[in-house]
Amino acid sequence: MSALLEVRNLTKHFPVRRGVLRRTVGHVQAVTDVSFDVHAGETLAVVGESGCGKSTIGRALLRLIAPTAGTVTLDGTEVTALPDPALREMRRHMQIIFQDPFGSLNPRMSVAETLAEPLLLHGLATSANVRQKVAELLETCGLQPWHAARFPHEFSGGQRQRVGVARALATRPRLIVCDEPVSALDVSVQAQIVNLLQDLQASFGIAYVFISHDLAVVRHMADRVAVVYLGRVVEEAPTATLFATPRHPYTRSLIAAAPRPDPGLRSDRQPVRGDLPSALAPPPGCAFHPRCPMAEARCRTERPALRAVGGTSVACHFAEAVAESTTPAERPPSDRLRRRLDILQAARESREDPHA
Amino acid sequence: MSAAETDAADTPAPTRAWYLRLMRDPSALVAALFLLAVCVVAVAAPVLSPHDPFASSRSVMVPPVWAETGSWTHPLGTDGQGRDILSRIFWGTRLTLVIGLVSVGIGGFLGSLLGLLAAFRPGLDPWVMRLVDVMLSFPAILLGLALVAVLGPGAGPVIVALAIATVPDCARIARSIAVSVMNQEYIEAGRALGLPARQLFLRYLLRNCVSSIMIFISLRFGQVILIGAALSFLGLGARPPTAELGMMAAQGRDFLLFAPHIAVIPSVMIFLIVLTANVLGDALRDVLDPRLRS
Repeated sequence: MSALLEVRNLTKHFPVRRGVLRRTVGHVQAVTDVSFDVHAGETLAVVGESGCGKSTIGRALLRLIAPTAGTVTLDGTEVTALPDPALREMRRHMQIIFQDPFGSLNPRMSVAETLAEPLLLHGLATSANVRQKVAELLETCGLQPWHAARFPHEFSGGQRQRVGVARALATRPRLIVCDEPVSALDVSVQAQIVNLLQDLQASFGIAYVFISHDLAVVRHMADRVAVVYLGRVVEEAPTATLFATPRHPYTRSLIAAAPRPDPGLRSDRQPVRGDLPSALAPPPGCAFHPRCPMAEARCRTERPALRAVGGTSVACHFAEAVAESTTPAERPPSDRLRRRLDILQAARESREDPHA
Repeated sequence: MSAAETDAADTPAPTRAWYLRLMRDPSALVAALFLLAVCVVAVAAPVLSPHDPFASSRSVMVPPVWAETGSWTHPLGTDGQGRDILSRIFWGTRLTLVIGLVSVGIGGFLGSLLGLLAAFRPGLDPWVMRLVDVMLSFPAILLGLALVAVLGPGAGPVIVALAIATVPDCARIARSIAVSVMNQEYIEAGRALGLPARQLFLRYLLRNCVSSIMIFISLRFGQVILIGAALSFLGLGARPPTAELGMMAAQGRDFLLFAPHIAVIPSVMIFLIVLTANVLGDALRDVLDPRLRS
C-alpha cells in the first residue's frame, strides 16, 4: 500500500540578498533533501531544536512556501506540481494548526465566520445549513454552540487553539500539519489539546505531521519520529525504537537533554555543546560533527547518508557504535537519594501509625 | 475543556458598540456635537442664512452684536464690502467642508489602496513606495500653486492639490499597518484554507487595517482643512465673491486694526473645526485601536 503523503528530496533554500542591487550573497539552507512517508491515520513527529527547519518543512509540505526542489505527493496528487487554482482546491485535503493561538485567528472575524469560511469556500455547506455545520464542528472540538458569536479575543488560549483545530478540521482533511500546536499552552491545557487531536485522529483517520520540540508530547502522540538537524533528517524510526535505542548521537543528546521527573538521573545529563551552526554555511561532512562527542576525521569530510540500521534509518557513520554505548535509562538511586527516600518513608510510616 | 468548566463565568458578554463607547468620553461628545452642528449649518446654509452672502451693501464693517454699536440685523457684523458675515460663515463652512471631505476622501482612498497593495503584493512594494517618495517631496502649498497656474483658480484645483498631498502620507501609513498585518499568522492560515487573493485581501487584510487607517484619515482631515484655508488665504482657492473661510480671513486682513472681527471670526471657525476634528480623531483611536483596547 502506498503512503498517503510521500515527500521526496524536499529542499528549501532562502536566498539572502544584500546591498542596493539586491544581489544574492548566499542561501540559508533551511531544509535539504528531506524524504519521508506518512500513512493514513498515522502521526509522524518532526523534532529538532529551534531554527533547524522544522516549521519550514511543515510549510513547504503545504506549499505555503514554495519548495526549491523535491516533490510532495498527497494521495497520488503531486502537490508541488499543481497550478494555483488546483492547489487551492487541494488545500481542502491538507490543513495546518499553528503554534500561536493568539496570532492564527483573524481578530475581526467571529468564530462562526472563521469556521464557516472553509466550509463555504470548498462547497461543504450551503448558506442554509452552514450554521448547523458550524455548531457540529464546535461540539466536535469541545466548544459550546454559543461560542460561535464570539470573537477570538474573548477566548482563553486553550479555547482559541480549539477554534484553530476546528478550522483545520472543517474541510475533513486527510492530512493536518501541526506546527507546535501545544507549545504556547500551559501543561494542563496541552494535555486537553493533545487528547483532542488523538480523538479526532481516531474518529476521522487523519494523518498528522506533528512538529514539536517537546519530546514528552512526541512520545505520547507519535507513531514514528523524524529527527531533524540543520535542515536534514538525521534519524527516523518508530517512536518506541527511537526512544529505546537512539542511533544518532544527536538524537541521544536530545533525549538526554529532555527533562525527566527522576532525581536519580540528574547527574547524568550530557547536553549538546555549542550552538546550532549557521544554515548559511553548514559545516562540511556531517553537519553535527562540531558538536558531536564521537566525531572523527571521517565525519569532517564525508557526509553520512541515511541508511537502515535495525529498523531505524540513520545518518551517522558510527550508528552501530552509538546504539551500543547508549546508557541505560534506569540507574539505581545514588546513596544520598536512597537516604532521603528512607527518611521520607519513615516519616510516612510514623504518620500512618496513629491510624493503624 | 469540559462542559462544567465552560458555564457560568463563561456566558457570553456583549461588548458595547464603538459609537456608544465613543460617546462616554465627554470631550469626544462635545467635539462630535459641534461637528454635527457644523455639518448641519453647512448643509442648510441656503435656508439658515439671514442675508444674501454675496450681496454688498452700504453698511460696511458693522461690528458684531456684542460690540456697543452692533445690532441684531447682522449678528456677526458685516465685512469690508458690507456683506453679512454670519451668512458668509455658513456658506464658507459649506465650501471648506466640501473641499476637506472630498479631497481627504479621494486622497485617502487612493493612498490606502496603494499602501495596502504594496503590502499585499511585495513585488509592487518598491515601485509604489518610490512613487510615494516622489509625491512626498512636493509641499502641498507648492503643488497647489502649480495646479492653479495650470488649471486656473477655483475650488477644483484646490481639491485636486489636497487630494494629491494626502495620497503619499496615507499610502505610507496604510502600508506600515498592512505590513504588520501581513506578518500575522492568520494571513497564512487564510492562505492555507485556499482563499482566493481577493477574499484574503478584503476579509483578512482590509478588515484588520481599516479602523487604523480611518483614524489616520480623520486626524488628517483637520490638517487638510488647514492647508485648504491656507491656499485660499493665498488667493489660490475659491474665486470671489464665493465665501470660503480661509479667503474670508485673508480679506479681513486689510481691516485688522479697525474691524478685527472680519478676520477673527472665520479664523476662529477654522480653529474650532480643526480642533474638534482632531479631538474626535483621537477619541476614535482610543475606541477603535485594538492595541489600546484591553
